[in-house]
Amino acid sequence: MTVLDLDDFETDFWKDVEKRKTWDEIIPGELRDTTPVTLTKEVIARFAAGVGEDNPIYFDEDYAKTTPYGGIIAPPSIHILLMFACTTTEDWMRSPGTINAGQNWSYHFPIRPGDTITMRGTALDRFIRKDRLFAVHENTFTNQHGQIVCTGRGQTIRPQ
Amino acid sequence: MTAQQQFDETRVGDVITGRSFTVTRETIQAFADASLDYNPLHFDDKYMENTFGKTTFDGVIMHGMQNFPLISRTLTDWLIPRGGFHRRLETRWLKPVKLGHTITPVATFSAKRQTDKGFWVLFDISVTNQDGDLVATGNAMAEFLDVIPGTAAA
Repeated sequence: MTVLDLDDFETDFWKDVEKRKTWDEIIPGELRDTTPVTLTKEVIARFAAGVGEDNPIYFDEDYAKTTPYGGIIAPPSIHILLMFACTTTEDWMRSPGTINAGQNWSYHFPIRPGDTITMRGTALDRFIRKDRLFAVHENTFTNQHGQIVCTGRGQTIRPQ
Repeated sequence: MTAQQQFDETRVGDVITGRSFTVTRETIQAFADASLDYNPLHFDDKYMENTFGKTTFDGVIMHGMQNFPLISRTLTDWLIPRGGFHRRLETRWLKPVKLGHTITPVATFSAKRQTDKGFWVLFDISVTNQDGDLVATGNAMAEFLDVIPGTAAA
């Protein structure tokens, strides 16, 4: 378990590029290497501010307590951050030129400050369309209570 | 109001227009610092002179996933005050969004459905740019709830 620190992250996506799986090497069903992370109020607030989620339920505890949520929650889209936070510099989703083609996400439980989130990530499928190399991925995020908080699937066009 | 009452007040065909968003290098940096997605597609002008398969881009592009919180915000601005829980969002990115572009998400109530245990509403989603071009399409699902998941045990 690691308390997520947004300032301690390798921002150079060229680092370890040669260690990342290319389209040819991605094996559907193979698990990606992941580490659980614990989210703080600060991280949730910074995520919300950075992506334009300005509802005070994401950063103002006094306000959040007055809502049916009973306290601060993370914006639903925090899985975007969790995917990078839980994976390593060798993860193929960091490959420069990875183009997102679309995503489907389901939300089951709100994520809250103090939650420790575990990611399970795989590729489900690979295909070639209009001369482009696609990978389909599936991610499942689980909290410390064993509740599946959100699940998602997406397609990326892989760099060639 | 109860979940049933909120559900009953929802009308298929109603439209929620989200707030517009203009892409700048600052918004791209802010999104990267929040999401930890530092792909050079969003930063490196020199790199973006390359050809990507058969595709070329005229400069850096917005993170496709920036659309996601903008759509979610459009939904939750409406849902949260009404006891609605954002359950699902399915999207396709159709067109890159470039510096200076302004995009606007729109959610249209497409259907409602009461199940054994729930009050569900469905939305068609579109995101268009300043020229009226579709940059993203999708659909979403929300549930009206009397108790938010995970709060009863707290």
